Amino acid sequence: MSVFSDPDVIALLQTRFVPVAVDNHHIEKQRDPEGDFYRKVASHQGEYICTPEGKLLGSTNTHSAEHLKGLLQKALKEFQPSEASPAASGAPDPRFNRPLPEQGLVVNVTTKVLGGYPATEDRRVRIFQQSLGRDHLWLEKEDVQSLVEGRISDRLRNRIACYHLVDNTRGEPPFWSRGEIKKLEMTLSEGVLKGKVHLESASGDRGFTADLLGFVAVKDGKVARFDLVARGEAWGAGRYNGGQPPGKYPLGLAFTLAEPKGDADRVLPQGACRGNFAGYFGP
Amino acid sequence: MLGIFLSLLVLQDGLSVEQFEKLHPELQPPKDEAWLSVPWKISLLEARELAAAQKKPIMIWSMDGNPLGAG
Repeated sequence: MSVFSDPDVIALLQTRFVPVAVDNHHIEKQRDPEGDFYRKVASHQGEYICTPEGKLLGSTNTHSAEHLKGLLQKALKEFQPSEASPAASGAPDPRFNRPLPEQGLVVNVTTKVLGGYPATEDRRVRIFQQSLGRDHLWLEKEDVQSLVEGRISDRLRNRIACYHLVDNTRGEPPFWSRGEIKKLEMTLSEGVLKGKVHLESASGDRGFTADLLGFVAVKDGKVARFDLVARGEAWGAGRYNGGQPPGKYPLGLAFTLAEPKGDADRVLPQGACRGNFAGYFGP
Repeated sequence: MLGIFLSLLVLQDGLSVEQFEKLHPELQPPKDEAWLSVPWKISLLEARELAAAQKKPIMIWSMDGNPLGAG
């Protein structure tokens, strides 16, 4: 059971705290009030408990729900509510902040290694081996318009290939550059989206070849369905997503049109993080 | 409908509709995941304002890549 699946931890967070999830690599570099506040109480990956004024009440980086629960309870005993309001906020750092595109869409992307791992008794390794990678594909207005017109734009095709056909099940994967696209066929015809890709690094140490099949439906001038599957063989890894199966291994991805309901559905796509807006939303 | 049927006929060398229909649901996250029942914010400033208004402490979950679903 993970730390945030523990019923006691969940109950505490639901009722006694304001929980917030952030990208450490992203927020620590922000030159704005949010980045300033973060640097005041946090410095790297982990769990931090603080007051709205920025007083640190506890921190850890744990896989133990009991440990986190103890820390939360200790922080509640120490917490003294203040009547002071938080300082006025300034403009967010434009290098790292981008709202959901107006008239755009969000497509959830999930990734799973479908086999190839050697057997292990290590519980933590097994969790990674069975994990589901998650990301969000953001479509801007003109991407949506192309789908409504019954075609898939080059920019959307490239975005899917470069930033979403990756193995993010064990950590942050390297994305594909345009030069690493050896083959990219993706066509939309009569609501059927099909394609083939071959992505490979210059040295050949990383790659992914896959077939794609999906369905796009338009109703009343709006995209009502965007379901896509990519399945193929991946090999190699980057600096932060190692531990992959040896040799070539089966990798599957599912794309599913989302209806953003809460903050969790508005997380920036990983490929657009670190201020890579021009690359992610580029042609 | 005929267009879709003809399109699918030429997919013999790629994924079949049957494979799509099997894989797409298999690759979905489980429904009602406990950790997503936590009312996570993604803006630390919004969290701070809410915490001040509700007189609660803030719990920050920080990972390289937002833990709510980007990598």
